[in-house]
Formats: sequence, C-alpha cells, structure tokens
Amino acid sequence: MALSRGLRPALFLSFPLSLIAVFVLYPMVATVFYSFYDKETGSFSLNNYIDVLLSAHPLYMLVAQSFGPTPPWGALIHNLVWVALHVPLVTLLGLVLAFLLKYYVKGSTLVKAILFLGIVIPPAVGGLIIRFMFDNVVGVAPTVFSYLGVEELSKTWTAYPQTALFALILGSVWIWSGFAVTIFSAALESIPKSHVEAAKVFGASMWHIFSRVIVPQLKPAVIIVVVMTVLWDMKIFDIVYASTGGGPGGSTNVLALVMYTYFARALDFYKSAAVAVLLTLIAAPFIALVVRWLRE
Amino acid sequence: MFINTCFLYTSMSKVIGLSTKAIVAVVIVLVAIVGIAAWLVTQPTAQPTTTPSPTPAETPSPPAPSPTTPTPTATPQKIKIRVIGPWSGKEMEYFMQVLDEYKKAHPEIEFEYTPVRSEDLAKTLPLQFEAKTTPADVIITSFGWLVAEMAKKGHVEDLSGLINKNEYVGGILDSVTVDGKVYAAPFTMWLKPGFWYRKSFFEKHGLSEPKTWDEFKALLDKIKGIEGVKKPIVTGDGVGWPISDVTEHFIIAIGGPQLQLDLIDGKIKFTDPQVRNVFENYLAPLIKGGYFSEPIEWTTAVELWWKGEYALYFMGTWITGMVENPNDLAFFPLPGAKGVVGGTDYIFVPKYAGNKEAVLEFVKWLATEGQVVHASTPAGKIPTWVKADPGRLWGPMQGVYKKVTDLGLSIVPDLDDSVGGDWQPLFWDQLKLLWVSPDQLNNVLETLTKEHPKLKGS
Repeated sequence: MALSRGLRPALFLSFPLSLIAVFVLYPMVATVFYSFYDKETGSFSLNNYIDVLLSAHPLYMLVAQSFGPTPPWGALIHNLVWVALHVPLVTLLGLVLAFLLKYYVKGSTLVKAILFLGIVIPPAVGGLIIRFMFDNVVGVAPTVFSYLGVEELSKTWTAYPQTALFALILGSVWIWSGFAVTIFSAALESIPKSHVEAAKVFGASMWHIFSRVIVPQLKPAVIIVVVMTVLWDMKIFDIVYASTGGGPGGSTNVLALVMYTYFARALDFYKSAAVAVLLTLIAAPFIALVVRWLRE
Repeated sequence: MFINTCFLYTSMSKVIGLSTKAIVAVVIVLVAIVGIAAWLVTQPTAQPTTTPSPTPAETPSPPAPSPTTPTPTATPQKIKIRVIGPWSGKEMEYFMQVLDEYKKAHPEIEFEYTPVRSEDLAKTLPLQFEAKTTPADVIITSFGWLVAEMAKKGHVEDLSGLINKNEYVGGILDSVTVDGKVYAAPFTMWLKPGFWYRKSFFEKHGLSEPKTWDEFKALLDKIKGIEGVKKPIVTGDGVGWPISDVTEHFIIAIGGPQLQLDLIDGKIKFTDPQVRNVFENYLAPLIKGGYFSEPIEWTTAVELWWKGEYALYFMGTWITGMVENPNDLAFFPLPGAKGVVGGTDYIFVPKYAGNKEAVLEFVKWLATEGQVVHASTPAGKIPTWVKADPGRLWGPMQGVYKKVTDLGLSIVPDLDDSVGGDWQPLFWDQLKLLWVSPDQLNNVLETLTKEHPKLKGS
C-alpha cells in the first residue's frame, strides 16, 4: 500500500523526534523539575537555588561572600572570568594568526595543522598538559619567567591560588586557538585577493590592511568564534578536573565541576539540577544570539 | 484546554504542512515510544546472572582411552574475574604477581585487572551502584568509609562469614564494619613511618637522624646549606594525599596519637589550641621558612629526591619498591612521635558482581595467603593477617618493620581516609592551599572545622 504524501514524511520524522523527546526534551524538563524539588520536605521550592548560591564550602561555592584581590571568588565568578579573558584572547590570537599565516607565512598549512592539534586532543589530556606547561620543574612558562628573573611567576602556577585560574585560562587559549584559526582561515579564503592587493597599491600598512580591510569582512566568523568560545568557557570541565580539580582552595572551581560534584560525589541530584539550570540560564543569551544570527 | 489543543494542531498543520493522518501517526508513534521507554525505566533491574562454576557432577566423564585415538584433554570452563585496584606502574606489577600465583592453583580463573585510583572510585562507584551495575567483581580500595557508605545502601556483599575477624590486626576492620557485619576483607598494610632519606646522602654530608625537635631543625638548616639541594624536604603532590600524610605525622608526633583519633571522631576541633599548636608552632613555621618544596607530582618527587635535589621525603612504605636501591634507604619519624599512620587496602565484592562463588573463594585467598605473596614482593607492605609467616616478608621491609617495632610506635588510622566523604577532598585542597599560602592558616583551620561531618552545627 502506497503511503500518502503526508504520512511518509511523518513516519520519517517520528523516529528522530521520538529520540529527541526521550533523550533531550525529557531530561531537560526533568532537570528543571528536579531543581525545584526539596528532598527534605518533598515539596517544590527555591531552596535548592538558595542553598547552592549561598554555599560557602570551597568545593561548592558559586559566589564568594567576600572578594579578595585574587581567587577564590566562587565558581560562577570564575566562569565569568573565563569568558572575560579567554574569549578576547582566543579571538584576537586566532585573527592575527590566521591573517599572518594566510598572507605572510609560506607553508602555513603545516603550522595550521599543528595549531589544530589543540582541539584534537581530549580536553582531559589537555588539562594534564596544562599542568605540566606551568610546572616549575618541567613547564615552559615558569622556565621562561625564571630566565627573565620574574620570581613570582617562576613557580608552579597551578599550585598557587593567585595564578592557578589564569594558568588554566592561558593553557586553554593554546588548546582552543586552533579552532579560531581554522574558522578565520576559512573565512579569509572568501575575501578576494584583489582587496588586499589594492590596499597595498594605495600604500596601506599591514596594520591598516588587517584592521580596515580584513576584520570588517570577517564579522560572521568573529561571531561564530566568540559565541562558540563563550559556550566552551561556560561548560568548561575536563581541563579543570584533570589539572587542578578546582583547587587550590577552590580557586579554579567552575560551574560544571560544582554540578558534577553535587551529582557524583554528594549524590544530591536536586542541587546538581539547580546548578545545571543556572548554567543554562547564563549560557542562554549567547545561544539566542547564535540562533538570531543564523536566521539573519 | 481543548482550544489550546486545537490551536496547537492547527499551528502544526500549517507549520509542518502535514495532513491530519500524518500528525495522528506521529503522535501515536511518539506516545508509544515514550510509553515503552517509561515502562522500561520503571522495571526493576535484573540481577546479573552468575555463571555457575563447573561442578564434578556436571563434568562429563572423559571417554575411555583407546590405543588408536588420542585422549582429548578436558579444558575446564574459563571464569573471568574483573578486579579493580589502586595500583599502577611497578605497584601493579607486584600485584600481578599475586594474581599469577592464584592462577597457578586455579587455571580456570582468568583475571582482568583495571587500575583505578581510590579518589576516582569515590566519584564513579556510587553512581554505578545506584544504577545496579558494577565495573568489577572484586574492588580494592583504601577508603574504608566508601565501603561502609556503600554497604549501608545495600550495594556490598556481607563478608562476615568469609573471614575470621580474630586473624587480623586489631581495629583494622572497624571502618568496614556496619551493624556488626564485615563488608570488606583487609589486604596488606602500609605504614607512613616518617621522613625517608638515602643513607649514602647522609653519610656523604655527615648527617644523622635527629633525636629532638631542635636537632631536627638543625638538620634541616644543615641540609639547606648543602650545594645542589633545592629544599630540605620535598613535598609530594597528587590529588592532595601526600601533603595530608605529612600533616598527620606532625599531628601525631606533636599532639600525640590520641589527638589524631579525636580529630577523626570529631571530639576536638581544628581550631582547638592543641591542634593550633601543631600548625602554628611547628608546621607553618617550616613552610614559611622554606624548608618544604612547593607541591611536586609525587612520583616525579621520588626521582628528584633520589637524585639528591631534596634530602628528605615523607612517604609511605611503598616507596621501598619504587627506588633503585632499597638497601640505601632509611627513615626517621619526627622526634617524640609515639605513633605512625597505618592502613590497609580493603577488598570488597559488590552485590552486582558475577561468578560469586569463584569471586568469594578468591577474596578469601587474597585476604590470607594472597597477603603473604604480596608482602614477599617489593610492594613495601606487611600482612594484616596475623597467621602470615613473617619470614616471608620482603627483605627491606623486615628492617622497616623492626624499626617501627623497636621505636614502640603505635599504629593510628589515617585521618582523611577515616572521615572520608566530601570532607576528604576538602582536607587535601585546604592543605594544598596552606602549603603555598601559610598566612591563610586561620581560614584553613576554620573551614576544616566547619565542614567536618561530626562537627557540623557544633
């Protein structure tokens, strides 16, 4: 029996839709539902949110009760620091590297492949590499600063609350910049060579070509890199877990790690759900930005 | 409600462009799949079926030998036992020797060993047990608190009838006993007896073991002055435990073994003057004075210390099996110490393990004869089974054991392994913080008091 024109697409759609319903929609709804469930009283309330936001336990703290000049400031604030530092660094580095590799470096494919390695390696391995990168015995960064005579930065960065968070962010710049370079390199291919050559003919400097000719034409790519990096920063977990475990003194803790600790260590699924919802709410504006941009 | 449904239907028809039949079909399929999924979720999880061990009655008799046909060799059915333990590298090699020994007498057994650190087990096992599954049939961990916690939730087999409690070192089963039932069997024991040094290094530089605190300080100062030595004491770093070990040694040596026991039981606060004395007048001044290195990954620290970049290393007895020449190794406890931390690795069987009969037989062997085999390797362990032949102890460990006995050091349980739970990683993390920021001592002591499970709310 031949299927009607309407029934055929419905049958095709039913399987993926049902998978989405079971594995995406149901967990999402259930997570929001659980986040309001108070296991003590069996009722629904905001208690889980209040508890997670007010916790002063160094391994669960989302917002510090008092702010010092150095971490720990709380997992939520640390995520925002990640966004504030990591996003501009990755975007700028990616832009500059892609530009230089395209117009000024011969054999740039090899360099791009090396840069791309960062996002090929599993993030947990990346976390271990970061730990060694900033180790005072074998690490590159402390060795360089030791030669430069900067005593404060010749130590193991991940061991000190003053430097641990920034070590992870800088290490992640190395890991994630390969992604930015790849996106910008692809976008650069779409810019006609004549634009750059014309600018050169008119005597434009390298800086002017970069800032006035290249960057304006890369706006869509910049949006992709910024949004994807923000999302990477909000859900950052493996790197922190493998390198510092959120320490020392909770100075590198992040939302996803707190969510995991509630879930796997304390087996408090309801507070874990509350942290997950908070994480989603913070990331939501960026997701909305992507959706809007995709529509445009 | 009805209006809403109609509106939804109309919108779907318009948006997707599907006919009524098609939408009904999609809804039916969706409801069916969600229903099946819900039904599956609500079904009780079936217990894993155990593969029965071959019994003599079930084994067919071999055919009578014939002069013309060769006799077929009866191969017993292989039984696989999955084992998880905390050892990797050389320590794993020594444990594999124990498994090999068992296989000699039980050729039908085959082992699948997976190394998993106890701290990782503590994060993954509870979830797996909640899902009524287990990653291994036999699990070995030093975290007695984890065994007890899982036993209380009904995830662990009761081993009370399997081992004789009186055949083990006193108190060793306390942390795995719940309501009078024993949920784990002890394996070999380690000690954390003091600061290890190379005899050749001490001889070369004319150093000797200190007998008083002042002599200890003088020794550290003398070492500080030796060319090529970065710091007198190297600080091992992992997830945090090497730092907690040296801290506990200070607590026991300065405050006495009872102080350690009181801290475990929550009878005394970390902010108590007795505990403050240990930290403020002994430990923190050494950290501030630059006598300790900053935390270095603990196995890397072994190499650096052995090379002579550091002179002293506080570590457990397993270090004897990690160095090139264990005969060049010696240790001394902090002057005045009346006790040392000692502990064991607990062997337990999850409720969801397969091949129960073979598994339990193996566990019984591991907790008795298996200990003798393990203690005879360079694993740096001593048996907790009192019937073990002390003559079979690995040579270098006999010396260590003799020294601990001669000094009259009592064995005290590990602080963080005993308190366990969320407090354990907090303790490690706070001590890491203290090591690099000794000025934060007050905060550290207050946090440890506030979050101690037996002190909360006090």
